[in-house]
Amino acid sequence: MAILFSRIKLLHYRVLLGRQSVSSTWTPLGSTMIHSLFLINSSGDIFLEKHWKSVVSRSVCDYFFEAQERATEAENVPPVIPTPHHYLLNVYRHKIFFVAVIQTEVPPLFVIEFLHRVVDTFQDYFGVCSEVVIKDNVVVVYEVLEEMLDNGFPLATESNILKELIKPPTILRTVVNTITGSTNVGDQLPTGQLSVVPWRRTGVKYTNNEAYFDVIEEIDAIIDKSGSTITAEIQGVIDACVKLTGMPDLTLSFMNPRLLDDVSFHPCVRFKRWESERILSFIPPDGNFRLLSYHVSAQNLVAIPVYVKHNISFRDSSSLGRFEITVGPKQTMGKTVEGVMVTSQMPKGVLNMSLTPSQGMHTFDPVTKLLSWDVGKINPQKLPSLKGTMSLQAGTSKPDENPTINLQFKIQQLAISGLKVNRLDMYGEKYKPFKGIKYMTKAGKFQVRT
Amino acid sequence: MPYWGADDAVAELRRALSNRHAQADRLRYRNVLLRVIRRMTQGVDVSGVFMEMVKASATGDIVQKKLVYLYMCTYASRQPDLALLAINTLCKDCSDPNPMVRGLALRSMCSLRMPGIQEYIQQPVLNGLRDKASYVRRVAVLGCAKMQKLQGDTEVDGVLVNELYSLLRDQDPIVVVNCLRALEEILRREGGVVINKPIAHHLLKRMSDLDQWGQSEVLAFLLRYKPRSEEELFNILSLLDGSLKSSSPSVVMAATKLFLVLAKDFPQVQTDVLVRVKGPLLAACTSESRELCFAALCHVRQILGSLPGHFSSHYKKFFCSYSEPHYIKCQKMEVLCELVNDENVQQVLEELKSYCTDVSAELAQGAIFAIGSIARTYTEQCVGILTALLGLKQEHITSAVVQAFRDLVWLCPQCTEAVCQALPSCEEAMQDSEGKQALIWLLGVHGERVPNAPYVLEDFVEHVRSETFPAVKMELLTALVRLFMFRPAECQDILGRLLYYCIEEETDMVVRDRGLFYYRLLQAGVEEAKRVLCSPKSDPSLGLLEDQAERPVNKWASEFNTLVPVYGKACWAVVTANWAMEPRCGGFPCAAPMTAGTGSPTFS
Repeated sequence: MAILFSRIKLLHYRVLLGRQSVSSTWTPLGSTMIHSLFLINSSGDIFLEKHWKSVVSRSVCDYFFEAQERATEAENVPPVIPTPHHYLLNVYRHKIFFVAVIQTEVPPLFVIEFLHRVVDTFQDYFGVCSEVVIKDNVVVVYEVLEEMLDNGFPLATESNILKELIKPPTILRTVVNTITGSTNVGDQLPTGQLSVVPWRRTGVKYTNNEAYFDVIEEIDAIIDKSGSTITAEIQGVIDACVKLTGMPDLTLSFMNPRLLDDVSFHPCVRFKRWESERILSFIPPDGNFRLLSYHVSAQNLVAIPVYVKHNISFRDSSSLGRFEITVGPKQTMGKTVEGVMVTSQMPKGVLNMSLTPSQGMHTFDPVTKLLSWDVGKINPQKLPSLKGTMSLQAGTSKPDENPTINLQFKIQQLAISGLKVNRLDMYGEKYKPFKGIKYMTKAGKFQVRT
Repeated sequence: MPYWGADDAVAELRRALSNRHAQADRLRYRNVLLRVIRRMTQGVDVSGVFMEMVKASATGDIVQKKLVYLYMCTYASRQPDLALLAINTLCKDCSDPNPMVRGLALRSMCSLRMPGIQEYIQQPVLNGLRDKASYVRRVAVLGCAKMQKLQGDTEVDGVLVNELYSLLRDQDPIVVVNCLRALEEILRREGGVVINKPIAHHLLKRMSDLDQWGQSEVLAFLLRYKPRSEEELFNILSLLDGSLKSSSPSVVMAATKLFLVLAKDFPQVQTDVLVRVKGPLLAACTSESRELCFAALCHVRQILGSLPGHFSSHYKKFFCSYSEPHYIKCQKMEVLCELVNDENVQQVLEELKSYCTDVSAELAQGAIFAIGSIARTYTEQCVGILTALLGLKQEHITSAVVQAFRDLVWLCPQCTEAVCQALPSCEEAMQDSEGKQALIWLLGVHGERVPNAPYVLEDFVEHVRSETFPAVKMELLTALVRLFMFRPAECQDILGRLLYYCIEEETDMVVRDRGLFYYRLLQAGVEEAKRVLCSPKSDPSLGLLEDQAERPVNKWASEFNTLVPVYGKACWAVVTANWAMEPRCGGFPCAAPMTAGTGSPTFS
């Protein structure tokens, strides 16, 4: 069969050589995805560069700097910048621009997603991803980049496989290495590369077999002046940490799987089974991974756990304004709302604010006009409030728009969508694993207009 | 980036590298190497220590090897003679028992990018293709492509191509994808890798083993395959169904494109696919990554061009949140303009209205223009909102509103009355050239309905000496001449003054010539001038509105998931037009030492 297969290919290939003109009508596909990568900090210094093909001159970044100058803030630099011979795709994270130089037509989402994967990998390796850390670990960074891409194509991007190729630096290991002279490089090839299940290596062994699942939901919402919801949406993920011996085959079922709107899975999940039975069946990767992510967006299903009462008034005549906000719990199913943080960008005309919080700390920066109030926990018996006056620039008219209030909070042991895991079963192995599940709700982009 | 002291640094590093004590102590030696690499990454030219680095490559320490190889790949093309010395070590490493060393050496050797290297790497690459470790095979497969590039224009090696085609059957999924990538590059002149039926079905079968990158690339390669029958087509589509629900947006996009292209004769299927990816696409639009949001929003706009109602029920997802960057907000506003319908128009306008007072002038103006474009369909409501905005007396807002009015009255003449009533007193808060031009144009064309039009224009004429923009002066001339036709008594004196100024005092030739032109036209008699100036205009209902007609999906299916939707088609054509001049620049950078164009002033 194999011989036949290759003969047909050959034939086809020859046929093609005969009529070259046909080829030009085909969609050109980028032969190289990523030509070079530049890391640039927000003050515009290139502090790391890596080239997978020929060396692209740094001067290509001048186009990026131009765009950076044009954008008032770093966040506003457009992700795609054309230049005469290349285009630059960048992502901005941890105050660093990761700029990929591309020479041929590429699917933009592919490159952007890959750049994010690079950042995630750095974060995974070094705990934090910052300019200092990258400079300190420049060799590991190069090694990792070298393995992640070859000739501009993504190679090993699963962090558990990468970590076998190049061990992440730890304080302990650095000390040990200095004494023994051993290295960060794994001496053996990752076994996962030969496994039938590409995301899991073979021969995994643990003394304690455990599987933890975290259901984390973030609420994105815009609440209008009167307190009614303009848009609300829950973005949920289930992150797992699975440390199980051998080749376990897991099934996870939910009490209410119909809640999940559009779900996307880790490649390990058997999609057909989910479609027919609404059960997650999978052989897990080893270690930490994101099992699935989902959205709940039907508005009546999204409960809003906090409310903000506000009274912010700028008066035309006097140079004083009143400011008063109160935060309270709404639909929290009896759980405590904690880690509450209120921030608000005040209008330009506000010179200063003199406020008294009933709890927590608050600051107002007269230069950036940013008000932030670290509230902490909400006690339903005694609602936290922040009251006082604003001194306004004399002579200017009332600002056109009242400030928007951004809210952050956390609720432990609650998935606000009501999603509940029913049970987790394991097949294929004999031992009894320890299983755990945690729920948590957080504010994503949660804002209240006033 | 400070380049000073490069010579000192090189000399110092050379001393450190050749220090016997350092060489004896592995750790100390490695630290010196690290310093070299660090200098290199800072953009300092450390090619001076190439000789010493070549010596350092003969070691059993794999980290040291990696460092040296990294160095060599950067500088080999500048020191080809010295680099040849390192090849011996590299060749030896290619038969090391440790597969990682083999892979590493092979990869480095293929990346040396210096002339004459092909003859040394050919054998190791061929051996690598048959290596028992998949890690080495992956490297070797891509090595074939690098080798071909080094050879430049010479004949494609048929044996090698066959070997690669048969490696498509490899059990390692990444080897399979790498084969496709390598073949694509080697056969670029012939149109890239050929996807025939057995290959296509083989790839489809292996799909689930691939990682997300592999999947999206294979999906792109499958675009070339033309199914023979309807049945085969639908088999393929159902096999790939899962890809539409992948957790990786790039796979979803690649799959969508493939579906749209394959089902080009089945509009029903295309629509169905677009309905199915609505969820994932909307998820990408609200994703944590701003850049993904942006790219996804661009594609949403593309889809809306064909299916205007497609996202209407989800319009709230496109409301801007305070903390988003400008480029996302701009995209969202554009999307909102396009999905407006009878049911949501109220809410959308309400929302856009609140952006009009944004702190950033750019966004505020964007929002106003968005309302202006919605006004083509929902004229009355929008004009009401825009008129109310004039009350704020903010410079940038007034300017944008007047510009929106100018564009509107031409398309929707029924709103002229309302616009004319709103115009008086706009001139007070107007500084920028664009806004002034729009206001003057409106006053000139519809001045007979604005009671104080001549007096506003008079104000402009009075200050014409301090006016910096020639375009404003031109607009003023035209407007005043036009208005003169309808309200001669009020305008004659002002027009006289303006013409005098333009002809006698103006230094800008274009303005002066225009002044002379109008002067002579008026000399020919008022009736003649009227005939020229007030002759019928083009019918607005034709050109622009026709352009808005729905574009069939097939028109853009092949551009989906490329940069075209991100830039917009016209803009993309401009960008790529430059590239056509040097198409080889991307594909076959010459193997010779770098030319000035692609050289590296980095290290100068």
